[in-house]
Amino acid sequence: MKLRFASMFGDMFRSLFKKPVTEMYPFKKTSAPPRLRGELMYNPEKCTGCQLCVKDCPSNAIELITVDKANKHFVMRYHLDRCTFCAQCVENCRFECLGMSNEQWELAALNKESFTVHYGREEDLQKLLGKPLP
Amino acid sequence: MENEKREKFIVPIGPQHPALKEPGHFEFTVDGETVTGATVRLGYVHRGIEKATEDRNWTQNLYLLERICGICSHSHAMAYSLGVEKLAGVAVPPRAQAIRQVTAELERIHSHLLWLGVAAHEAGFDTLFMFSWRDRETIMDILEELTGNRVNYSVNVLGGVKIDIDTERADSIRKGMDFLEERTTHYLKVVTSDETFLRRTRGVGFTTTEQAETLGLVGPTARAANVARDVRVDVPYITYADFPITITLDTRGDLEARFVVRIKELFECYRVIRLILDKLPAGELTTRMPRKIKEGETVSRIEAPRGELFYFIKSGGGEKPERVKVRTPSINNFALVTGTAVGHQLADMPMILAGMDPCFSCNDR
Amino acid sequence: MDTVKDILALLFFPAGLAVIFGGLAYEWIDRKLVAQLQNRIGPRWFQPAADIVKLLAKEEVLPEGVDQWLFHSLPIIALAGVLTAGLYVPLFGLAPAHSFAGDLIVTIYLLSMLTLCTGLAGANTNDHFSLIGATRTLTQLFSYEAPFLLTLLGPAIVAGSWQISEINAYAGSHWMILTQPIGFIVSMIGLMGKLELPPFDAPEAETEIVAGAMTEYSGRGWALFRLGKNVELLIGLTLIAAFYLGGLDNPLTFLLKTLVLLLTVAGLQALFARLRIDQTVGLWWRVGALLVLVQLLVTIVLKGVLT
Repeated sequence: MKLRFASMFGDMFRSLFKKPVTEMYPFKKTSAPPRLRGELMYNPEKCTGCQLCVKDCPSNAIELITVDKANKHFVMRYHLDRCTFCAQCVENCRFECLGMSNEQWELAALNKESFTVHYGREEDLQKLLGKPLP
Repeated sequence: MENEKREKFIVPIGPQHPALKEPGHFEFTVDGETVTGATVRLGYVHRGIEKATEDRNWTQNLYLLERICGICSHSHAMAYSLGVEKLAGVAVPPRAQAIRQVTAELERIHSHLLWLGVAAHEAGFDTLFMFSWRDRETIMDILEELTGNRVNYSVNVLGGVKIDIDTERADSIRKGMDFLEERTTHYLKVVTSDETFLRRTRGVGFTTTEQAETLGLVGPTARAANVARDVRVDVPYITYADFPITITLDTRGDLEARFVVRIKELFECYRVIRLILDKLPAGELTTRMPRKIKEGETVSRIEAPRGELFYFIKSGGGEKPERVKVRTPSINNFALVTGTAVGHQLADMPMILAGMDPCFSCNDR
Repeated sequence: MDTVKDILALLFFPAGLAVIFGGLAYEWIDRKLVAQLQNRIGPRWFQPAADIVKLLAKEEVLPEGVDQWLFHSLPIIALAGVLTAGLYVPLFGLAPAHSFAGDLIVTIYLLSMLTLCTGLAGANTNDHFSLIGATRTLTQLFSYEAPFLLTLLGPAIVAGSWQISEINAYAGSHWMILTQPIGFIVSMIGLMGKLELPPFDAPEAETEIVAGAMTEYSGRGWALFRLGKNVELLIGLTLIAAFYLGGLDNPLTFLLKTLVLLLTVAGLQALFARLRIDQTVGLWWRVGALLVLVQLLVTIVLKGVLT
């Protein structure tokens, strides 16, 4: 067998004339693939309040608050900081009111409050958040 | 006094050490540069995951167990789901099984390329490290596009998979495989021909076949010592019987052989992935899974990138498991470090350590 | 007036501050080149300087069981040594600040001070990584020092002088890389060994012994050692360029020639896997020293025959 030195020379020589592959992330952003699992999105219109998403959430990131059971009005309190982005809730939901965004994925924040997100109909949110939370 | 001190000159590697990216503690007794003794201490990243599974329901555990390891996350989730599905007596649709196999093989590629980079870094060959990780980015992008995440793919649900492979994604996987195959051919040439690198790998950490069997090595580390041990071949699970793997063996049993075996396994991965993509069975992705699993116990074994991953699952008939026991491949392979260290140079220690591809996070759980 | 000029030359230009900043700039170029060769972007231009400023501002931890006086003075001696060496070499293509017959020998010894101090600094602490690093540093010192010295003697013998400025002037009309190619190659590799650059970085192999002899150093001491290394890189490149690449007579040729050398050094750094210390020693004594000795003999004999 022929022994050689410097087997990486070709790679190195070529990269001398190539642009570095390093992604300049915060300065240049590339869009995420469509299936990326980012922040959870909730559509209150179709929700029946079956609580399946809450039951199987591995990190207890979802709370479903019933505002008006008869008319199927629910508010979802979503704890972004606990979420593991596994999409089991999306899988469980039979009414397709849950989805994970591929745009909202830069979720860091300086204060803890912004990690608690409320989703729901406008009037329900007003009703719920207007007075002190339970 | 002077002699006694000299004999007990211990070089600690870990729990915090640049050679190890995870905490594990190794003590090497050295005489000058020669190692005269080695001990290992583990358990620094014990998180009590096995106990924690006992108060989560079957589905929640899937995600907890997936997070045992950041590199072979799919292997853990798959081993667990296979066990639970066996307990529940549920048959998973063939398409879902094939997609699981594709993900498992993609994960193997990512793990082996990562290992190649780390091992090259331990040898002080940073150029190989940078280039192999640059190319590994291809596989990470494929996984992100396919599953929605770079690390914890969450492909499995109990009773099937979440994601489907459509023609567009199959094409991008094929394109990635073509690129990686070309690069892997190059890396194989590098690790078998670069003189300075071979000086660090050839004959280092040598084990005979008998030794490897006595130490109970698993995975590529064992296959490098000519031990034909691969769960994918021995007991084919999911669709490994339909899309079989040819076992990669090497007779030399040293570090170079471990490099060669892992890199040659990559070619197997590329071949099998292309084969599955061409003949992807049609059908459903999931099947109905009961919330309560009937009483019983089972074991499930799969071939993780590092070797045989073993799950024992016991159900008491409720919504939660009664016991989940995980045995990871790394625990078998640690014997290699203590078994072959003596007589080597201190400079070879990180190489021998990296050569077995330790995963402390899997190991300690 | 002369005294003022001397002090200025000593503190600011061409020695002193100018060498320090030159060394930092060369470190950056080296890192950037290695990064480019590995298809990365590498650090920004101020990174080495920022590192030094940060380190100077940081607390210096005095480990237990060290000789305090030695611990603090070693980095200063190391830096002072290489800075003094800067007085005798044609930095930036200008005439050396000081020159006397035999300054080549002084410079070579001054350049070895850094390695010696590193070794002593490692041996001074109780840390096992440091002790092994110190052993390796000194082992490496003994292996490359003789061949490196011989490679610098080759041009000196041809030029018939022990004075750097005279050899430099002689080299202006004789490209000694052509007449003594082995000497050139060995001197380049010797410089890399001196600076503990890969693949000769076994004394500070981070995956084995953390930072080698420097493991216990932090803050100021570590900053001074790093500065010393940067300055030594600059001076070493200057010496080799002056001796082998046709001399240095103005800043432009200096820049051109040293940067070509630096590119070579960066390429060699990226090309190889780290050598084990026993392999380094074997390489130097079995190959390097022998080749240079043969070349030196040939040079002496030829010089005797021709004149």
